[in-house]
Amino acid sequence: MVSLNDVSGSLLHKPTDSAHSVGTRTDSQYKPLTTFNLSHQRSYQQQYGDMYFLRLTKIKPAVEEVAAAAWERTVIGDETAKQVERVLDVRQGELCWVVGTVYMNLQNKPNILEDVSKDRWISKPDPVHKYFKEDETEEIMLEDDSGRVRLVGDILHKIGLSTGCIMAVMGTENSNGELEVIDVKFPDLPPQPERWALSGQPGTQGNGVKKVKDEDQEMSGQTGGKKKKVAIVSGLAFSGSDASYALELELLLEFLLGEVLSPDAQSELSEISRLIVAGDSISGSDVKPVTEEEKKNKKYGYDASAYNAVPSQLFDEFLAEILASIPVTLLPGPQDPANSSYPQQPIHPAMFPNAREYTNPPGSKEPGWLDIVTNPWEGEIDGWRALGTGGQNVDDVYKYVNSEDRLGMMEAMCRWRCCAPTAPDTLWSYPFQDDDPFVLKDCPHLYFVGCQPEFGTKVVSGPAGQSVRLITVPSFSATKEIVLVDTETLEVTKVKITAA
Amino acid sequence: MDEYKKFLADRLLSDEQPITYRLLSRALGIHVNTAKEMLYDYHTYQNGIKAESIHATYVVYGTKTQNNTAEDGDVEMSSSMPEHEPLSETVPTTTLALIRQENLEAALAEYQEVVSIHMYSLAPGPQRDVSLLYDVAKSLAEYTSKEDPLTAGEKYGTIRNLNVRRRDRQARPKPGSSTTSQPAKAQPPKAQPIVPVKSEPAAATKKPSPFEVAAAAAKLKKQPSSQTPSSSETPTSSAAKPAPALKRGGSGSIMQSFAKAKPPKPKPEPKKEEDTEMALSDDGEADDEDIAKEKSEYKDSDAVRKSRKQREDELRRMMEDDDEEEKSEQEPADEEMEEAPEPEPEPEEEPKEKEEEPAETITTTANGRRRGRRKVMKKERVMDEQGYLVTIQKPGWESFSEDEAPPPKKPAIASSNSSTPASSAGKAKKSTGKGAQGNIMSFFAKKS
Repeated sequence: MVSLNDVSGSLLHKPTDSAHSVGTRTDSQYKPLTTFNLSHQRSYQQQYGDMYFLRLTKIKPAVEEVAAAAWERTVIGDETAKQVERVLDVRQGELCWVVGTVYMNLQNKPNILEDVSKDRWISKPDPVHKYFKEDETEEIMLEDDSGRVRLVGDILHKIGLSTGCIMAVMGTENSNGELEVIDVKFPDLPPQPERWALSGQPGTQGNGVKKVKDEDQEMSGQTGGKKKKVAIVSGLAFSGSDASYALELELLLEFLLGEVLSPDAQSELSEISRLIVAGDSISGSDVKPVTEEEKKNKKYGYDASAYNAVPSQLFDEFLAEILASIPVTLLPGPQDPANSSYPQQPIHPAMFPNAREYTNPPGSKEPGWLDIVTNPWEGEIDGWRALGTGGQNVDDVYKYVNSEDRLGMMEAMCRWRCCAPTAPDTLWSYPFQDDDPFVLKDCPHLYFVGCQPEFGTKVVSGPAGQSVRLITVPSFSATKEIVLVDTETLEVTKVKITAA
Repeated sequence: MDEYKKFLADRLLSDEQPITYRLLSRALGIHVNTAKEMLYDYHTYQNGIKAESIHATYVVYGTKTQNNTAEDGDVEMSSSMPEHEPLSETVPTTTLALIRQENLEAALAEYQEVVSIHMYSLAPGPQRDVSLLYDVAKSLAEYTSKEDPLTAGEKYGTIRNLNVRRRDRQARPKPGSSTTSQPAKAQPPKAQPIVPVKSEPAAATKKPSPFEVAAAAAKLKKQPSSQTPSSSETPTSSAAKPAPALKRGGSGSIMQSFAKAKPPKPKPEPKKEEDTEMALSDDGEADDEDIAKEKSEYKDSDAVRKSRKQREDELRRMMEDDDEEEKSEQEPADEEMEEAPEPEPEPEEEPKEKEEEPAETITTTANGRRRGRRKVMKKERVMDEQGYLVTIQKPGWESFSEDEAPPPKKPAIASSNSSTPASSAGKAKKSTGKGAQGNIMSFFAKKS
């Protein structure tokens, strides 16, 4: 309950003679990684099978370690559990444990083999809300390069699983050839790097530190002790036709520029050192589907009626305006003009004729002021290792499990050490040959996922003292919310913008 | 009476246009916070004269009382509430709300703590639909596009960033930047000399400025030089010209910029007859050119127009068949394109390959006849194991014997023949039949 009189930061008075000050924004210590960047000369000829093989070989040692610690000398009945190397080595009636990749066969899940055999070649499958269906038709299998075994057991229904995650199971094979699972183990969180592991902390001794100090002496002096925040937003969905949240976007712009609000609050806004846009900056609703008739009268070359440039122009203007004050990291999302398969590559700067002045010239080592990055993206923000995605990875795992707990799915992905387990099965992906970048080598401190239906956050911790801040970032166009992360404490606040 | 009150009165009462604090700050060149205070001052002042004549919206920023957040009438909020699970931490939420003055008291009651409050906009009547303010916000581009956001921000109170890195705009030649979608953006060089002069003596004093603002809001395009005697005719030309430029697609704007880059050569003549104000703004901009064109047309009549048309035709033809020319002109644009991964290497490699492998070997050249073997692509149709007819292209060698190239090409061949047969072959190829194909190749390369 507030009345007009007890508002401290009020500008409801006559203009004063004293000049208003201009705030200075905190600088952003920022080092992006190129984990998910693909080579420009990439080939799409290869098979996807290698990805599963790579993932299994990379994660298997970690799972084995966890499983061995838990199940070594486990005796059930008279039998001691022992490890078998391959899924095919599982013998009927023997208590054993084995590591493999989960494969799930669900009622509504698209099946590539079925599509091929029935000669269905549609370009895009119909969107399915959930692959999961509440009946007993689901099949969970464990496979490796030798073969596959069907898993049964109540425990499987208690834990959420998705295709592509690596786990160890202990049990015995029954007469139906199914493995009756007694217990399962996951690799759990990967080792977590120290803070400032990549960029070096400004203001203490160390290698990278000196460089920072030499370059901008006065900057590092200013940052000391000051609170710093990072703003994360997703689903800005600039649109040429839907103006229902245009004013909120305008207010967001003024908020980020620090023009709205009163002097005290404005100085708080200057603590926001970076904006991260986690996908869906441009609305996909403006793209009208091509009808059968239009397909026939196909025009070659540029067809102005088929493409509406307004959304990207609006976004470009938005970016160009805020970039004068705040650096931006831009991830593509499902609706953005980037490739649709994971990992999505950066949106081409040609989309932003105005804002691209802030990008780096090609070949430059420094991160750009406008850093157009991949999805997923990994980097270091103020020393914290951050992992962010545009949301497709969570959206796809969401379809596998009978749950609405998206934070739980994010946690599961961390514990599975894989940030896109369902790629390349149901999440379209580039066919990697030499490395599966979705496997988490390092545990992030901050893991955010954009374009989610609602905001959520929690902290999960691992056995070796790891701790990860998970955030689901809601779509701004739907919720009008943006997320602020304090980069000293990793505490999260959010700001809701309403225009009634 | 204060200047800003006059300005606001013109805007709100005469023109009946709403105004936001940002627009006021840009129009008068003042800090946004001062503008917010001015809005408040004018609101109390004007409503003191005549009650309910001016309606305001407020921005309220603070924390809402927990219980009320769920039932603030927000549809999205309530729909997402049921899904809410205790799995997520609850975090402090600050709400930034734009509120109409009629609802202010009620809205404030929902807050637990208000950190800041100020006026956002004023309007001549009750604002039922605040989303109209978006249009006002958009017209702000009129002011900001003229100046460099990095330096101008300081004046208006935008949080400045000392680390901002930007590629040098000046280093980029005009055509590149003017191909962008915003014609207004290409104007800074012209606007800069004008702005400092105009904005400081507070536009409010003079009549023209409010007029400008009104014009800005009414039409989306406006001529910055409305103080000049030619102001009566400029609006028509400016309204007519930039609008289509905005709409035109890729190749059109390239054409335009191309034409823009060229003219300076023949232009000086009519330019001399213009007044100094005209000469000042000689930077090859679309607007200026229009004026110059208009005026010169009065004087030099058709001759100029005709030569101009010819030139444009010529240019168009050049665009179509002469890529070399275009390339040199479009260099800046190409630089941008370098970031595009695939298309670049292709056109580079293709011709190289052709030159590197010897396409023909000349064994003897005598009596005006050349004999030798040359590489050709042969088409072969064969039946494969499954009984399908397959056409394959095979590289193969065939011997030939032919007359030496016709006289006009002779010098070229003769000069290089002795030293490098390979290159001569390449040249001969280009000038005969293949020449057309080479052109098509490069055309495609350009397109991609």
